[in-house]
Formats: sequence, structure tokens, C-alpha cells
Amino acid sequence: MMMMDNQLQTQTQFQCWFPVLRRFGPDDPFFASGNIERELLAKQVALDFTEEEKQQLRNLDDEDSEVICPIVGCGANLRSLVEFEDHYNARHTASCSVCSRVYPTSRLLGIHVSEAHDSFFQAKVARGYAMYECLVEGCGVKLKSYKSRHQHLMDKHNFPSSFDFFKKAQPSKKERSKKNQSKQRNATFNTENEEGSGASAMQVEEETLNGLVSAVSKLTTSDSTPSSISFGRRHTRGLTFVPRVVQRETKK
Amino acid sequence: MADESAATPRRDPIKNPVGNTAAQRRRQNAVSVGKERREALFRTKRLCRVGVSSDMDVPDDSDMMIEEEQSILEAQTSSAVEELKNAIAFQGKGAVQKKVNALRELRRLLSRSEFPPIETAITSGAIPLLAQCLSFGSQDEQLLEAAWCLTNIAAGRPEETRALLPALPLLIAHIGEKSSMLVAEQCAWALGNVAGEGEDLRHILISQGALLPLAKMMFPNKGSTVRTAGWALSNLIKGPDPKAATELIKIDGVVEAILRHLRKSDEELATEIAWVVVYLSALSPVATSVLVKTDLLQLLVERLATSNSLQLLIPVLRSLGNLIAGDTYTTNAVLVPGHEITDSIILALIKCLKSEHRVLKKEAAWVLSNIAAGSVGHKQLIYKSEAMPLLIQLLTTAPFDIKKEVAYVVGNLCVAPADGSGRPSLIFDHLVSFVKSGCLRGFIDLVRSADIEAARLGLQFMELVLRGLPNGEGQKLVEKEDGIDAMERFQFHENEDLRIMANQLVDKYFGEDYGLDE
Repeated sequence: MMMMDNQLQTQTQFQCWFPVLRRFGPDDPFFASGNIERELLAKQVALDFTEEEKQQLRNLDDEDSEVICPIVGCGANLRSLVEFEDHYNARHTASCSVCSRVYPTSRLLGIHVSEAHDSFFQAKVARGYAMYECLVEGCGVKLKSYKSRHQHLMDKHNFPSSFDFFKKAQPSKKERSKKNQSKQRNATFNTENEEGSGASAMQVEEETLNGLVSAVSKLTTSDSTPSSISFGRRHTRGLTFVPRVVQRETKK
Repeated sequence: MADESAATPRRDPIKNPVGNTAAQRRRQNAVSVGKERREALFRTKRLCRVGVSSDMDVPDDSDMMIEEEQSILEAQTSSAVEELKNAIAFQGKGAVQKKVNALRELRRLLSRSEFPPIETAITSGAIPLLAQCLSFGSQDEQLLEAAWCLTNIAAGRPEETRALLPALPLLIAHIGEKSSMLVAEQCAWALGNVAGEGEDLRHILISQGALLPLAKMMFPNKGSTVRTAGWALSNLIKGPDPKAATELIKIDGVVEAILRHLRKSDEELATEIAWVVVYLSALSPVATSVLVKTDLLQLLVERLATSNSLQLLIPVLRSLGNLIAGDTYTTNAVLVPGHEITDSIILALIKCLKSEHRVLKKEAAWVLSNIAAGSVGHKQLIYKSEAMPLLIQLLTTAPFDIKKEVAYVVGNLCVAPADGSGRPSLIFDHLVSFVKSGCLRGFIDLVRSADIEAARLGLQFMELVLRGLPNGEGQKLVEKEDGIDAMERFQFHENEDLRIMANQLVDKYFGEDYGLDE
């Protein structure tokens, strides 16, 4: 199962840092705190503000800078950036125990786990069931392939083509070294069993296979730490994910 | 100048001389600043409590701010207006004195109490009467008292200010050169309050010819009249229509007066004049281009360097900021690296960055960021100055709004001016220096914030680091500071640009092959 190369590749060049003169109109919010200070200083004698009151008035500026959570579908109102950070950590960091990818809701995490780490899911896909759920909560549509779901998201829900649900997560250093080790282990296994099209291709396939095997065998234990499964993107040299069941058949 | 109070909930009718007692009661009753009080502060209008003349009937402190029950105050106001009406109608001997007395009574009610009974005054019909008292040929004392009443009525709520419309042409007439200084000042004050209310009123005042006489009031060397006129003028030209600002700069003698005051006048007066410059430079390119060719910049830099008055520093700093941002002439021809003024301004900005006042830090960083957007020579000058350790520290520890401005400075220092084609090139030494000092963390914090602009800055700086540092060092550093984590947040972010930017970086620098060769 592959990523859609062309659609997901970003078309434009990165908007690099570009030094420019920045100018603000006199009523720009940028100048608000200075304007407040002007009035505070001019009127403080007769209005007789306490230090506390003055500080509150200055902080009014901050209150106005309320934050709305920018994660798709959330929109929570938060009173400060600190609050936002807390909110984000509390609500939007549902992480996958298998591959450590992080999702903003538990529903999306669940979808990810099925699609990425569940061989039975893939088995059903191979049999032609519509397994790929629409990511928008409440839509209910299911599609037969990742690609068609992506299309559905674009067509029906105006997702941009660059949106990639299955974007490769950056494995941690620990995971990367594990991956390297297991690659070395697999090398010997490979030469015994496969007449593959290339050592590296086989390595990835084997690794995938091994990963699956271990994942399936550990299905009952939730806190297993299998080697990270790398569902590659365009880098994986065109290797299609093949479910374990089917693969066994072709080996014979 | 004057002060203002706002209506707060009614109090007990205790007739005590106020001052401290009122303040204490306020502290007991109110923990947070009430909404009306806040609004009163934010209005750019000023109530006149003490009047412009020192000979006038100024009550001693024990009399000031008598706490009256509101209803008593209102009743007194109605009868004062009634009294005024009679006085105006009266034809016999001592008519003028009668009028002055009646006006004085009304004026006292409108200036000494904590919540002046403005609404009552208006509904009792004070305005047309006060306008009559402004008729040409009236005695100065009468004009003064009437203008004072109008000043305080205009300091109220928007609809109260607007009630002054019938009296405006007369007020404008009395700021002409034939009037006594005191009368002119009081009328200017009233006009300043009206102008501060809103754009439409400013437009009316300008079309009625208020600009020229008010500008001329700035010409004398000193005095509270000049100060009041400066303040009123800043309210009049504040736009958003730039026309008034552009007209002002063209008036003969205005530029010279501005320079003279900024050079020699005391800080209070210089403050109001500096605010005039703020609006001139923010709104009118014509004014800006005129001003940058005088020695205004030098005078502003000197004030910035030598003053310790926050009141003065704010408009001076902002004027400098506007002049730099508004016209490339400033950075290209005046603030040339190597000129003394350039060194001075950087030192003065450093002083502001070190200040404890948030406004000064933030706006100084903004000004510095615009200088840093200049030539490579400018960037080197800042890089070699004492600003560097400050910038690094602020980037990590300052409140968010200041951090963001400092981020602009740092980024601008690391990127050369674009030569028209393609990507602007990196200034490697500067970038490495900042990264070594730990700046990356601050930028990654910006990426995590919910602020779109800040996040964009953070991502753009990360790109500089990833692109600029050799041997994959950039990637290692970014990973170490949890930069990858920060970028992955954008997967589900609603802003498409940021999502794309984050994806582009992750794709390019942290793709499949990242870290495999360790």
C-alpha cells in the first residue's frame, strides 16, 4: 500500500526567510500597549490607580490575545499561550504505542492503529472490503483504498491534496538504532529464504514481515515494543505492502 | 493637563473631602478595574479639573472631588443650567457678572465631582446656552468658563461628545491668534476632546478649519498652551485618513516648530510634540519624507538616549520606528553604518531593550528588526554590538510578544538582502553564532505557539538552520530540541501554509533516510 506520490508532494518551494521592513498603522494592535501606557501615565494622578489596577489594565492587552486552538476540528478557546500548551498536551497528543505517531483525537489514533498495525485490517482490504474510514467524524463513508479515501477527503471535505494522514512519523533515535539492528539480523534470514529482487528490497520486506509477525503474535499484550514498522513512502522503491497471508502463498 | 474619571457604582452620600478616602474606598469595593473606569482610561479625552489659569477660582484640595450623591448633583446641575438661562436672558446691570457666576457654578459641578453630571447638563439644555456664551466680543472670563464647561462635557461618552456639534465653529474661532492664550488653550482642549472621539468628528473639525489655527498654537517656545495644542493636534490628525497629517506638514513653520521643541523643550512638552510626530510618520509618506531630511532623526535619537521618562520615550521610540519603517531613505542615507548617529541609535535601542518596560522592549526590538532588514553592513554593526547577548536572552525568556519581535531581529541578521533572484543567502557566521548560543529553542517554542505568524517565523528559522549548517548538524540540533515533534503538530493544523511548510521540512530533512547511517 503506497503513498500517492504526486498528489502529496508539495508543489511550491519553501517560503524562506526574507528580511523586509515592517510597518504598522497607528491603530494597529501592535501599538495598543503603548497607547494604553500613554493614557495610564497621563491620567494616573487624578484617577489614582493602584499599581495593581495599572497592571490589570496593561494585562488587558494580553487578555485580548486569546488563543483558539488551531488543530482541525477543535477550536477550543484558551486564554493564553500557556493554557494552549497545556490544552494541546492534554487533548491532542494521543500517541500510538506501536509507532509513536501522535494524533489529535483518540478516534484518529484508532483509525491509524487499524490501518497501520492491524494485519486483519489489511487482510480484509485485500479481500475487497471497504475498510478505509473517512477521517471526518460523522461522515461514515468507507472506501476501499487509502488513495480513494484521500480522494474522498478532497472531494467531499475540501482537504488539500497535501494532507497526508499516513505521513511517516519520525522514529526516535532508539527506534532507529533498533531498526538498524534488526536489519542486520534479517540479512542472514533473507539469504536463506528469498530469491528477491534486491537485497535492500528484501530487507525491507522481511522487516515488514517480521514486524507483522511479531505484532500479530503480540496482539494480546498491549505494551509490546516491536521494531518500528516502516510503511514507506516514495522512498521504498515501489514495494507494495502485501498481507502476510498472501505472502506465504507466494513463497511456495 | 487633565485627568479623567469614570462612573462607578453609586456610593454612600458622605460629604467628606476626598482624595485618599475615595481611593481607599475604591480599593475596598473593587478588586478589578471596572469596565467603565477602563473605558474612561482608554478614551483619548481628558477632563479638565483645574483649569488653565492659575488666577482662576481654583478650589483648595479639601474642596476638590466632593462626593455628592448623584441625584443631588444632578438636581444642582439642572438648576445651574436654569440659572444660566436666566442670566443670559437678563439685560440689566451686571449682566456679564451674572453670566460668569452661573457659568462658574456649572463648571464647578462639571469638574469637581468624581462622576460629572454630563448627561443631566446636556438634557437640561446646557449646550446651546454655552454656545451663546461663546459669542464674539464676550469677556475672556465668560469665554473661559464656557469653554471649560464644554471641555468636560466633551470628555464623556461618545454621544455626549457629539452633543458639542453646535458649538464647534465657535470653539474653533476662539483658538485664533486674536484670543487670549488662556481662552485659546481652553478651547483647544475642548476641541482635542471632540477630535479624540472619532473619525467623523475629526473630519468635521478639519472641514471647519481647525487644523491651521491649532497648528499655529505650537509656535511659541513654551507654555501649557503649546502642550495642550500639541495634544489636541495629535488627536486631530490621528486618521485613519492621512489627509490631515499631510496638510499639517505643509503648513509654514510647523516643521521648524517641531524641531525646536524636540531640541529644547522640557520633557512634558516634547512628549506631546513627539506624539504629533508619531501620527505624522505613521500616516503620511509626504510628512515622513520631509521629516527624514531634517535633523529630526538626530534629535529623536538624542532624546531616546538621554531621557528616562517613559512618557517621552514611548512616542520618541515609535516615531523613530515609523520613520525607519516608512522610508528607506532613513536606513540608506541617514543611518549609514559608520555614521555616529547609527552607533547612537543602536546604543539607545539597547538601552530600551534593557528597560523594565514591556512596551519599550517590544517596540525597540521592532525598530531594530527593521534596521537589521537593511544592508549587510547594518547587520554586521548590530551583530558586533552589545545587542547580541540581550537578543539571545530575550529570545529564550521574554514574554511572547517581545520574543516574536526579537525573533525578527535574529532572523533578519542571518539572512542577506535579496538580490532579486531566488532565495536570499545566509549569513553563515551570524547563523552559527546564534545557534551556538541556543536560539533554536526559542524559535521552536514559537513553532509550538498557536500564533500563525510566530509559527511561520519559527519554521522559517528552522529551515535556515537545516539548510545552513553543514554535515547534518542542523538536523541533529533540530531533533535535539524536539523540533521534529513541533513540526509534526502541523499535520492536523488548520492552516494550510504552515502544514505545507512543516511537511516540506520534514520531507526534505527528515525523510526515510534520516539517521539510518548512525
